[in-house]
Amino acid sequence: MNMRLQASHLCYSYTPNKTVLHDITLKLDEGEKLFVLGPNGSGKTTLLSCLAGILQPDQGEIKLNDRGLRTYKAAEKAQIIGVIPQGHSPAFPYTVFEMVMMGRAPYLRWLDLPSKDDQNIVETVLDQLGLFDLKDQPYTEISGGEQQLTLIARGLAQKCQILLMDEPTAHLDLSNQHKIMEIIDQLSQSGISFVISSHQPNEALHYADSVMVMNQGWVIENGPPQDIVTEMMISTVFGISTEVLYSKEGQRLPRAVVPRRPVQVRPGSLIDPDGFLNEIFAKRHQNPQLLLLTGLKGIGKTAWCLKLMQIAKKQGIEMEGIVSPGVYSGNMKTGIEIMDVRSGEKRLFAKLNLGKTQDLSTPRWSFNPDSIAWANDVLKKRSASELLIIDELGPLELLRDEGFVEGISRIDSREFHMAIVVVRPSLVPKALQRWPDAQVIRGVLE
Amino acid sequence: MTNRQSPVRKIAINLLLVLAPIILCIASLSIGRYQISTQEVIRVLISPVFPDAAADITEIAKQLILRVRLPRVLAALLIGASFGSTGTAFQAIFKNPLVDSNILGVTSGAGFGAALALLFLFNNWQVQGLAFVFGLVAVFLSFLGSRLYKTAPILVLTLMGILVGTLFSSLTSLLKYIADPLDTLPAITFWLLGSLASVTWARITLLAIITLLGVIFFILIRWQLNILSLGDKEAASLGIDPVKMKFIIIVVATLMTASAVSTSGVIGWVGLVIPHLGRLLVGPNHKRLLPVSISLGVSFMIVLDSIARALLPGEIPLGVLTGIMGVPLLILLLRRSRTGW
Repeated sequence: MNMRLQASHLCYSYTPNKTVLHDITLKLDEGEKLFVLGPNGSGKTTLLSCLAGILQPDQGEIKLNDRGLRTYKAAEKAQIIGVIPQGHSPAFPYTVFEMVMMGRAPYLRWLDLPSKDDQNIVETVLDQLGLFDLKDQPYTEISGGEQQLTLIARGLAQKCQILLMDEPTAHLDLSNQHKIMEIIDQLSQSGISFVISSHQPNEALHYADSVMVMNQGWVIENGPPQDIVTEMMISTVFGISTEVLYSKEGQRLPRAVVPRRPVQVRPGSLIDPDGFLNEIFAKRHQNPQLLLLTGLKGIGKTAWCLKLMQIAKKQGIEMEGIVSPGVYSGNMKTGIEIMDVRSGEKRLFAKLNLGKTQDLSTPRWSFNPDSIAWANDVLKKRSASELLIIDELGPLELLRDEGFVEGISRIDSREFHMAIVVVRPSLVPKALQRWPDAQVIRGVLE
Repeated sequence: MTNRQSPVRKIAINLLLVLAPIILCIASLSIGRYQISTQEVIRVLISPVFPDAAADITEIAKQLILRVRLPRVLAALLIGASFGSTGTAFQAIFKNPLVDSNILGVTSGAGFGAALALLFLFNNWQVQGLAFVFGLVAVFLSFLGSRLYKTAPILVLTLMGILVGTLFSSLTSLLKYIADPLDTLPAITFWLLGSLASVTWARITLLAIITLLGVIFFILIRWQLNILSLGDKEAASLGIDPVKMKFIIIVVATLMTASAVSTSGVIGWVGLVIPHLGRLLVGPNHKRLLPVSISLGVSFMIVLDSIARALLPGEIPLGVLTGIMGVPLLILLLRRSRTGW
């Protein structure tokens, strides 16, 4: 095993209680492009800083060319590992040439000035990346793509075996994203290894040799991109429902990941022969079908559920669950009831506080704890019904495991055939991370 | 717009930057109540080597140049070089074009030390010594304060510098309040306004040694300032130990500034304005900027000191002049500079 870079069981925390990296293990071969994929704040940048030796991991070991990273002197290390930061703006408007020249620092001693040789190296690199004409431009005045290229040029002037890149295409337009990734690809063929942090699954699909998925400081998965970049993984990590598109040759090679838009669904589609709900309903015995019904507040999610119940009842479909219709006096919603879907029994669940002193310290709604307990009892009774409706699971349930906890555990355990759960849009990512196989729908009344 | 300069312009700037301090020195030596021509100045200056050159010049003119004006002009030269180089270095390591070497409180500390010595009627030497010591004490306190925190050292250090500076300014005010208004109070006030009027050969020795060594140090590390100005993380990834290097720079700059301020009294603005002027001339690359800033700092201080002693029948306090000249100059430079700074 002659790996360029190996890290085993890395842990890092900025403050004692907040661990940013948990037990990270990775290895990097010559010319390999390793993509570290994950949402914002998943610990990618911290990992890169540890690999570069800028941060010292609390636990674990990093080996560079089979030698502990800590045993390297700063300049010696910088001759092997280069860091290409995210596009930034330095305090002073150095020219492109001067910026790239700084890549020669690891080769200069304390009191040295760059020599003619250093100048030649810099000019060669600038020429290689097509930056020669820009060399006297101030770095702060060139475009984002040119800045990223300049930083790559600096990494090349550093003559490293390994380049660590922090979201190299984050602020670039489509054409520049493509240009940068193609350059990285060609450089890797010349033997340079790359660790690239990214939140773009498509880049990983196209360019990575291997992918490591991180979430909240943990490695979720790693392996070749076609095995890793899946709909389930993206739902779990990014909280978005997606579709992976495959190449046409039937080789099942994934080509791209695209977000799935919520399907617009009418309650009536349950009885249409080709209707969406009908198709889902037909598949309910193969495996549990979970739909997340979402839509902006006041758009009629509860009304949609009630309408669906009417239709299902006519069809003789057995149902269970809870819905929470509003209680209106005039045009004003003054309360929320909770209704047992099976029996039709109702309880008052929440009441609007209409006291004369409407200061901010009194909550707008006062909830009845007995009704919550009752609703949980309703959800707890498991029967062999065909359709489970839960209206709704909100922040209490999804973020704090309070409220309709029986509803949550019911969905978690997949003890249903077909379930429709009402979730507000802001919580859809949270729900998808919890139930990555769910489909998101948007209710429309006919 | 590019930073490219034609070779002719480059040579012209270099020549100007080398010649300007020399010409200004000679001009400054000839200026004063007792008029001496520049030709006579040059002859007096070479007289230690060629005694015949100044044979026909009156003894009073010789004495005036060699014993009174020359140490003063040299002090201005050294202080200018000191402010020019430390200001440039501090702007680089603090990644901030609006700081100078006073940011860590050295001047306020020196002011307090001088005021303390003047209050107790110590002699000139003791005033200078105490000013030097308290300048170092102030920076040491800023450093100590910043060690209370683990994160963002450079930001915390800046904040501590401002706090310590304020503390010593307040203490100086307290000393002024209890000083004798007929005797020690004016002495303290005049010292704080800054002046080179009482400079002698003996008093610039320490200044000369520290400044020359410091300037050489900064010239040697000038290219590394580029890398430090990118920030700690990037500097570390380029193989430089930013913490160690910045610490050394701060120590050297503080010794230089303390020795300058303890000789001249409080003089501000020079270290802040000069690097801007330098960047306008040659761009931000410290490899060129640092020597240019030294030359400009020297020229600026010599011109200001000449104005201070020649413009009015009495002396104008130097610290007042640097402010009056420095502020409009900085405004002008900020307006003219191409990319923000």
